[in-house]
Amino acid sequence: MPMPPDDPGDADPGLARERTRLAWARTALGFAAVGAVILKEEPAAGAIVMITAPLIWALGRLVIRPAARPGLLARRLLLVTATVVTVAGVALVIALVARAPASLSQLLRHG
Amino acid sequence: MEERGSARDGHDDRGPAPADADTEPDARYTLANERTFLAWNRTALALVVAGLGIVQLLPPFPGVPWGRHVLGVPLIVLGATVSVASYLEWQRTQAALRRGAPLPRSVLPRVLVATIAGIAVLSAVVLLVSAVR
Repeated sequence: MPMPPDDPGDADPGLARERTRLAWARTALGFAAVGAVILKEEPAAGAIVMITAPLIWALGRLVIRPAARPGLLARRLLLVTATVVTVAGVALVIALVARAPASLSQLLRHG
Repeated sequence: MEERGSARDGHDDRGPAPADADTEPDARYTLANERTFLAWNRTALALVVAGLGIVQLLPPFPGVPWGRHVLGVPLIVLGATVSVASYLEWQRTQAALRRGAPLPRSVLPRVLVATIAGIAVLSAVVLLVSAVR
């Protein structure tokens, strides 16, 4: 018996899954963009932020079945938030410290 | 082999779940909630880039040495705030979906609008002070 197409329990969420995968890819590109901006002033910090982009992309490719592991679904998103907050922290330090006596990369090199 | 196959496809004898039980919501709702979270986090990253760009790439405002920092630093802080808030809202929405309850209203649009309007006013002030000096 064919299922009714608008039955939410049985419809194939393939397109929704695809949209979500693309959203993860755009988010990963966002991290790369922030990294590129930081790269201009602080190459070391910028490179680290750039590395998060493929990691976020890979995180989006993970297939998680919410019924089996409900906690993983939340932890994966918490990781995104933690990364954004860390990147914002790095940006804040650069904004406040850069062009002062010691730049971040100088601190890294000498300290 | 046959047993496993029939177990995986065996969704025909389960009736609809009771409305007040905590059940895993339809995958499409979970995915839509996740996309909303990701969209807010891209907004957060854009705010961080904007703040960093103002401080690093803009030439200094003549006569207003603190001008770039007063505009850029709040944007970076707002970026981190939006990211944390979007996670909390994702959690609230996910819990509401599980219960089948009405979805909570988001405070994020109001926070974003208020801060961007504030930054715009602040930009005007910095420009005026710079023009007067």
